This record gives sequence, structure tokens and C-alpha cells, in this order.
Amino acid sequence: MTAVAVLAAVVRQEWGRLTSLLLAHFRRLDLVEDALADAVETATTRWPRDGVPDNPAGWLHTAARRRVLDRLRAEMMAQRKMPLLLIDAEHRSTATTFADPDDQVEDDLLRLVLMCTHPALDPAAASALTLRLVLGVSTADIARLFLVPEPTMAARLTRAKKKIVTAGIPFAVPSADALPERLQVLAQTAYLAFTAGYAPGSGPDVVRTALAAEAIRLVRVVLELRRGEPVLVALLALMLLQHSRRDARVDDAGAVVLLPDQDRSRWRQDEVAEGVALLSSPALTGPIPVLAAGYAVQARIAAEHATAASAEATDWSRVVRHYDDLLVLAPTPSARLARAVAVAEADGPLAGLDAMAGLDDALPRSHRLPAVRAALLERAGERDAARAAYGLALQRCGNDAEAADLRRRRDALG
Amino acid sequence: MLIAERPWDWQHADEAQRKEYFDAHHAFERYVDRHGRCHSSAALSDADVATTVRHQGDRAVVTDGPFAELSEQLSGYYDVELPDLDTAIAAATLLPAAYTLEIRTVVGVEGYESA
Repeated sequence: MTAVAVLAAVVRQEWGRLTSLLLAHFRRLDLVEDALADAVETATTRWPRDGVPDNPAGWLHTAARRRVLDRLRAEMMAQRKMPLLLIDAEHRSTATTFADPDDQVEDDLLRLVLMCTHPALDPAAASALTLRLVLGVSTADIARLFLVPEPTMAARLTRAKKKIVTAGIPFAVPSADALPERLQVLAQTAYLAFTAGYAPGSGPDVVRTALAAEAIRLVRVVLELRRGEPVLVALLALMLLQHSRRDARVDDAGAVVLLPDQDRSRWRQDEVAEGVALLSSPALTGPIPVLAAGYAVQARIAAEHATAASAEATDWSRVVRHYDDLLVLAPTPSARLARAVAVAEADGPLAGLDAMAGLDDALPRSHRLPAVRAALLERAGERDAARAAYGLALQRCGNDAEAADLRRRRDALG
Repeated sequence: MLIAERPWDWQHADEAQRKEYFDAHHAFERYVDRHGRCHSSAALSDADVATTVRHQGDRAVVTDGPFAELSEQLSGYYDVELPDLDTAIAAATLLPAAYTLEIRTVVGVEGYESA
């Protein structure tokens, strides 16, 4: 491996640990991130010239630590204050170093993750900040992943960091009774980043899957720290099962391929297997929090599709039962609509249409609702009603690719 | 810690409900004493008797009422010193359920010295 490749790998693997270690020592978010970025910058020129150090992460830690101390020294000179704090920081004997293999480093990493996903932060900003500080994704790359200009993302990250410092969001693991709730917020933050990656019409597919992959990496990192945490186990299963289909979701022309038409040989079987295995792990047996249960049920629905040999072989009656479970946990209109689709597959289009009764009031602006109804009416042989429903769906649809598909299906009715 | 509430919640509270308010404030104050300290606090008169002063050009315009007409109005505050936001949130949850609490930190204004 070249020095540059080693550096990239160390940054990817150790950025969060390095950040949390420096933060535990100095408690200065503003200085720590810049210092670490400077250290990486220096390594970019020095490692190819002088060779990769024996302990690359330790090298970055030492370099960043020196930067922070330089900055603190400069600040204290500027304020003409006695550098007592500095001496304290330089000589503190209890300070953890990167060589410490014990739990302290892992605890610091959990502190960092919980700080970045604090509920007092805006959720979108929290996901971006977590990618930056925990996973070491560059601001430019985060901007690309979230499809905003880099200055916008830089400003969003700066604002989030300012909020952390000014509002006094702690670099701490909360008490045992508060921790599960905080881990739930963390899970929601990770899932927000994951679904942002798969939002329809959101940029090239490579970018979208990259963001989803980073969200999965975040959950893996935290799961290492909190093994068997139900909400994280369920979320990882859900993400893996959805992510396993990424190569089959678009065709060569870039158009979205719907589930029944996907080439199942392109699904990642290793990820399917891992997701399915997670679903039967002990962490998800017995009573678990509602959020975890919701992720688990959605993952089980995804697993039904992922393990069916073909679209025709899908056990739709089991899918319907999973949706029944989901509706008990989270009776949302979109879950009811998805259940109606499964009912139609299990018991025919008329049963599906029945299952959609009452949804119009709940989804007055949805184009998905009339689009699904149109498809079911078409299958039931109700061509005029289907044509009208496609027309309504077209009126409401704001996505060009989806609108083109609806128009094609309406015109095919003759 | 800024307290916002709907004014009629307190006005229409009966004796038992008022005791619940007082108990909640006592629990809050005890928690703050354990984790930090309270510098000052006050309940404020209702927003409908508030007076708002705005500068318009070179004169001050005085109007009757609060600066923002909202269903919830500022009704009191606690100036407390606590170690971090999580402690402040834990303290806030002890106050009466009818309240909405806004937590702000006190900051020094660079270059300003008291007269």
C-alpha cells in the first residue's frame, strides 16, 4: 500500500477515536477538529517522503496534540494569561494516549457519538456532524452526499459545533436510564442519513449508495461499543437488507427498477445473510423498545423479499402479517398503503382496493395512493377507472422519472 | 431557563393544582442546589399587562402588550448555574408539565464593561 493509501485508511478507521481522544483531553471542539485536519495535511506530504510511521494513528494523534497545544499557547499569550491551564494540559499524567488499548478510548468514542447526535441538535445537522467527526468524512464529501453546496454544508457544520459549545452539550455518556433513549436518537440520526441516500431523484446512484454505506458504517461503529443494543441491531439488519439491493435498483440507463423487476442475482447475498442472521439474534427476542421493534418489522419485510427465489415466490401472506405488526407499532398512512399492496399480491387486486379504503383522507396529496389504485384497477380490468386514477396521480406527481412512468402506463391502457 | 406557559393554565388552576406547581418548583430548586446553584429567579406578571418599547427613528414608541403575540408567553425565569445541557434538561423536566422551557446559556459580550 502507498503512504497515501495508508493515510486514507487510517483516517477512515481512526478519525472518530482520534477526535474523541483529543476532545477528552482538551475539551475544545473548535481546536481539535482543525488540529487533526492539519495533522493529516502534514502527513500527506511527509509520509510519502519519510515513510509511513510504525504507528500511523499514534503519529496523527501526537501531531494533532502538538497543534492544539500551540494554539492554546497562542491564545494565552493573546490574553496575557499565565499559562497555567497549558501546563496542566501538558503534564496531566492521567491523560489517555492512543496506545492505551483499554476501554477508555472506546468510552471516549461513545461520548463523541452521543455528543454529535444530541437531541438538542437539528437532526440533519447532527447526521452531517456525525459523518464529519466520527467517520472522518471530509466536508466536501458530506456536501456531495447531502447534495448541497460545500459552503452551505460548512456553515451547517459550523453552526452545529457552535451550538454544542455555546449550549453546553456535554462530551459525556448519560446515566444508564437515559442512555437507551439517546441511542434511539442516534439510531434515528443514522437512519436519516441512510434514507437521505436513497431519496428518489437525489443525485447519481453512486453518491446515494455511498451515503447509505457511511450510515451503515456509523451503526457498526456504535454497535461495537454497545453490543446487542436492540435498536442498533434491528436498524443494522434493516439497512443491510435494503442496501443489499443497491446494484439492482437502477438499470444501465439509470432508470429506477422496481422490486418485482429487479435482477435478484445482483442482490448482495452476504449482506442479506448478515441481515437475516441479525434478525434472529438474541438481542431482538423478548420485549424491545417500540423504535427497535419498528425497525425489526421493516427488516423482516425486507427479508421476505430478499430471501424469495423470485418475485412470484414471495410469501405475500407473511408480508401482510408483518405489515399488520407494523401497523400496531406505527399506524402511518404510508404503512397502510404498503400493506394494501401486499394484500393485493396475496389475495388479488380487489382485496387490495378494499384495504385502501379510508386512505384518501389521510393522504390527500400523495401521488403514490392513486398510482397504486390505478395499477390495481388495471389488474382488476377496470380500465376507465384506472385511467382516471393515473390522471390524478400524474397531477400530483412532482418527480419527472416517476411521472414519465405513470404516463407510459396510462397511455398503454389505450 | 426561560419559562413559557399559557396564562390561563395558572389562573384557572385550583388549589390542588397550584400545590402541584409549587411541588414541581421545589423539586427543581432542590435538583439545582444539588448540581449547581441558582443565582436568581422570578415569576413575571401576565403578558397582557406587558409594555413594549420600540425605537422608531429617533423616538421611542411605547405600546401595550408583549413583543410577540403567541399562545404561550414568557411567565418567569431561573438564572441557574449547571455543569452542562443534559443537567439543565434534567432540571427542566422537573418543572410543571404545563410549561415550555427554553434553555439559554449566559454569555460574556466581548469588549463590554459595566458602567
